[in-house]
Amino acid sequence: MIDTTLNWVDDRLGIAKGGRTFLDKIFPDHWSFMLGEIALYSFVVLLGTGVFLSLYYIPSAHEIIYHGSYLPLRGQKVSEAYASSVGLSFDVKSGLLMRQAHHWAADIFLGSIAVHMARVFFTGAFRKPREFNWIVGVTMLILGIVNGFLGYSLPDDLVSGTGIRIAFSIVESIPVVGSYLGFFLFGGNYPGNGDIIPRFFLLHILIVPALIAGLLGAHLGLLVKQKHTQFPGKGKTEHNVVGSPMFPTFMAKTTGFLFMVTGAIFLLGGFAQINPIWQFGQYEPYQISYAVQPDWYMGWLDGALRIMPSWEWVGWGHTLPLEVFLPAVIFPGLIFNIFIVWPFIESHKTKDRAYHNLLDRPRDRPMRTAAGAAMLTLLFTVFCASSTDVLANFFQIELNYVLWFFRIAVIAFPIIAYFVTYKICQEMRHAEGVGKRKRASVVLRSDRGEYTTVASEPRPGDGHEELEAMPVPVSIDLVPPELATGAGVRRVLR
Amino acid sequence: MRNILRGRLAAPAALLAVVAVIGLTAFWPSDGARAATNGPAPAPISAVVPTSTTLPTLVSPTTTPTTIGSYTTPGVTAQAYATANNPHSGITYQVPPDSFIAPGQALFDANCSSCHGSQAEGSARAPNLRGLGAGTVDFWVSTGRMPLADSSVQATRKPPKFNTLQTLEIATFVQSLTPNQGLGIPLVNLSNADLENGNSLFTLNCAACHTITGAGDALAGGAYAPSLHLATTTQIVEAMRSGPGNMPHFSQGNITDPEARDIAAYVHGVIQHPSNPGGFGLGGIGPVGEGFVGLLLGVGILMLVAFWIGERS
Amino acid sequence: MSAAQRKDPSVTPVSLSDPHLQPLAKHPERVQVLASLAMVVGTLGFVGFAIAYWVGNQSQWLAATFGVGLLGLGAGVIAWGKYLMAQGPFVEERHDFHSTDEERSALAAAITERGGLEVKRRKVLGGLFALGSGIMAVVLLFPLVRSLGPKPGRTLFETNWRKGSKLVAVDGREVTVDDLVVGGVLTVFPEGYIGSSPDQTILIRLADQAPDEHYPLQPPGNPSWTAGGYVAYSKMCTHLGCPVGLYQEQTQQLVCPCHQSIFNVASGAIPEFGPAPRPLPQLPITVDLDGYLRATGGFNQAVGPGFWERP
Repeated sequence: MIDTTLNWVDDRLGIAKGGRTFLDKIFPDHWSFMLGEIALYSFVVLLGTGVFLSLYYIPSAHEIIYHGSYLPLRGQKVSEAYASSVGLSFDVKSGLLMRQAHHWAADIFLGSIAVHMARVFFTGAFRKPREFNWIVGVTMLILGIVNGFLGYSLPDDLVSGTGIRIAFSIVESIPVVGSYLGFFLFGGNYPGNGDIIPRFFLLHILIVPALIAGLLGAHLGLLVKQKHTQFPGKGKTEHNVVGSPMFPTFMAKTTGFLFMVTGAIFLLGGFAQINPIWQFGQYEPYQISYAVQPDWYMGWLDGALRIMPSWEWVGWGHTLPLEVFLPAVIFPGLIFNIFIVWPFIESHKTKDRAYHNLLDRPRDRPMRTAAGAAMLTLLFTVFCASSTDVLANFFQIELNYVLWFFRIAVIAFPIIAYFVTYKICQEMRHAEGVGKRKRASVVLRSDRGEYTTVASEPRPGDGHEELEAMPVPVSIDLVPPELATGAGVRRVLR
Repeated sequence: MRNILRGRLAAPAALLAVVAVIGLTAFWPSDGARAATNGPAPAPISAVVPTSTTLPTLVSPTTTPTTIGSYTTPGVTAQAYATANNPHSGITYQVPPDSFIAPGQALFDANCSSCHGSQAEGSARAPNLRGLGAGTVDFWVSTGRMPLADSSVQATRKPPKFNTLQTLEIATFVQSLTPNQGLGIPLVNLSNADLENGNSLFTLNCAACHTITGAGDALAGGAYAPSLHLATTTQIVEAMRSGPGNMPHFSQGNITDPEARDIAAYVHGVIQHPSNPGGFGLGGIGPVGEGFVGLLLGVGILMLVAFWIGERS
Repeated sequence: MSAAQRKDPSVTPVSLSDPHLQPLAKHPERVQVLASLAMVVGTLGFVGFAIAYWVGNQSQWLAATFGVGLLGLGAGVIAWGKYLMAQGPFVEERHDFHSTDEERSALAAAITERGGLEVKRRKVLGGLFALGSGIMAVVLLFPLVRSLGPKPGRTLFETNWRKGSKLVAVDGREVTVDDLVVGGVLTVFPEGYIGSSPDQTILIRLADQAPDEHYPLQPPGNPSWTAGGYVAYSKMCTHLGCPVGLYQEQTQQLVCPCHQSIFNVASGAIPEFGPAPRPLPQLPITVDLDGYLRATGGFNQAVGPGFWERP
């Protein structure tokens, strides 16, 4: 039956050879190669739950009276966007679960991109020929962050609305064109004519996801064409890939992983409340709550805005608000540009123009690893700086001290991290047997009182043989060997 | 188990333990850093004052609490605030009878006069209490902020030193020093409270310091806006009207009595019993907590799954 | 095997007993039992989800059943793939995918020689097309960008506060001189423009003064713009536009909740701390003969965050 179908399709599309090659594709088995899949599958969940949400959400700033089932809001003038989001949470069956799963999926999507990117960085997988893929990946990170911001701003609640106000001011701070851009985007002076909600909606459900999906296709396509990298090991060279075939082994594992990612997201979506917009109320530009932070992947920008000193440049009839422009435009621009050009910085510095299909152990590249650690430390410190008020409250320290701590930490900690990481890498490279499982030493005492040590017996299961890798079998003889006979003779079992 | 003991799974087991600890601390019900337990709830005024006096009975509102772990559909209704006898709507300001003055003076002399002076006139260490009224004194004493040992830091809510009767006696004494001046003790009747109005007023006037979920936060110069999760309706109105510490004074020309009642109803019914149908509230601190849970619990557990699926060497 | 392959003697089928085709697990039957259990639990989970969905709208039940369903099936199929399928390892060769030097020069030649030939022959056409396309690309931006909204013009410099505008609260109440006590704070708008973001103003009573008295604000505050102990400032933070709603009565400071800029109210709302660069613009107010608070003019500068055109 498979033969007939296959013949029919192949007559028309000629897929047999490519299909076989595709099914034979080898995927290396290391666990850290699956981090990108967490991102991929949370993106799938985002699309699915997003479709559900878009069936109920109304992207309009038009004001109506709330008549839903959350009583403290009943009778209040709210936007249709807010009312429909609260409606999703209380009055649509499984609506709250879908909303929360969608939001958790976004947090996990960006979190897994971060760990995946760290893995790619620290193992040097971005080197030739994979620079394109690295750039595609960084672009998806940027688009993901943007889409997350657009998405959590859609419900038009007090907390996310404050973020939109800040976004307008950041656009406004751009020299020469800032106020024009702000007015164009918002349809007027803040808060605009209400057009910002449907514009955010269109960007969030169509334009940016389409870009991400296209880049994702390119990302995976490049991966298929260039084949995955692998760690050095027995039988692994620059010219092969060792692992499991796409079909059926890898497909089974990755399908299972899809289910696990989805399951984890939905469990979080049902048991951990996130973004309870009904508690925040409708956004009004003259109202505000204290202790408001953006979602974590925007936190580093908020932190940068808080710790920046109030340097505003005024001269020759113009103002350049550096206290906004530097932390919110220049700083992220610099960081993302460093990300994008890093493969070229590194290949220029190391003068390395060779192909690399084998990965590095991070300790073998101490400068790269230390630089990455310093960058992560910088981003994490700036991220923590977005909670200055919460930290001041929790630790009962004055706001001033907390702020000054972060101003200094943001410069000092990355430098310290660089040198500490460098040193650790050096030491790990020179230490014997680091990372390998230790075997106990048996201490023997000779008759004369001499002490010697001997390695203990290997534990059962330690000494298993590693098989030599073999090519994916073209065909498998499904007859059990004990039943095999010569050609032409068929053994029948009764 | 054998695998864990052999150390093969030591690393992921440790990671799982860390994740579990963080998950537990994230989900542990918390009330803000400074919400110390207040001991047993103070008895309502009616329990200590004979009903033959002019004081009407204090309202003890019934509410539909939503505790962590019970996932009932949210429904905090104005009708839930039924009361036994309430001829008035809004707030009435009362002062306990004169029989409270003498015992109040004794308590004041023993506990307060060393800083505030025997006639509550104040000193270098403590402010003048004359003219502030019984309601103001009742706020500070019933929340346990007074007596205060160290006046160099902002006073914290703590288990009150005096019971309700004693608190009222002290308050009555101070009030008696300036008989017709200052704030009376607000008796709040929530039966006709408009929750939606309270919601709007709270957001406009209170959320900027106390946060939209009433969790409180740090202010400038070492001060802080406290959490609202333990305040009684009386204390809420007393605070609004007397403006303790750095809190502004919200007078009747700014927030009328019915509006104050609505705010108190909102704080009592919604802030203190938030609707959390989505699951554990994660402490109500917003995206920071959510980020930690999403990254450590969400991405963390999925990384553990990847660790299971894939190779290790 | 296909019929053709069976006829081809060079393709030797791999025997089933080959160790690469054996499962990884030492006791595959036991793993199969566990995996089956997981899948059964998973399936039951989905059945449970269906029931939970029809019975009610409890997020937790829906999530628990759906989640258990997914985790069960997922764990089962992962266990199948990892422990029960052919353990390998398998290898495939990487082939150089970059083209030969001949192929590259052929491509380069196609572009430079064939294409170059035509362009050299018709330089004028080439130039004109390039010029036209370039202008088209720029012009296409106009409907995409410019049609989105109006030009800022003087809008950022103006609010609706005029000489004589009454101060009104959010509920429409006109503010009188007796409304606030010392230490009171209120959000106000010009009459008729309640809720208008650039007009948002914060009114604070610093002292109990007669309506014609002025509060001694320190510079850059303007004492003559106060009345009856009241002072009014724009509520829009000069850092990023958040409403500066947090007033500390004892220290007379306004704190912006977004990034903790601190403004000294008695000194013209000058920023003492944090990222805000400029004081909050002060609104000149007075008390009229009926006791209502009115503005005696608009703000004397643009409210809110800085922008290029701000002098």
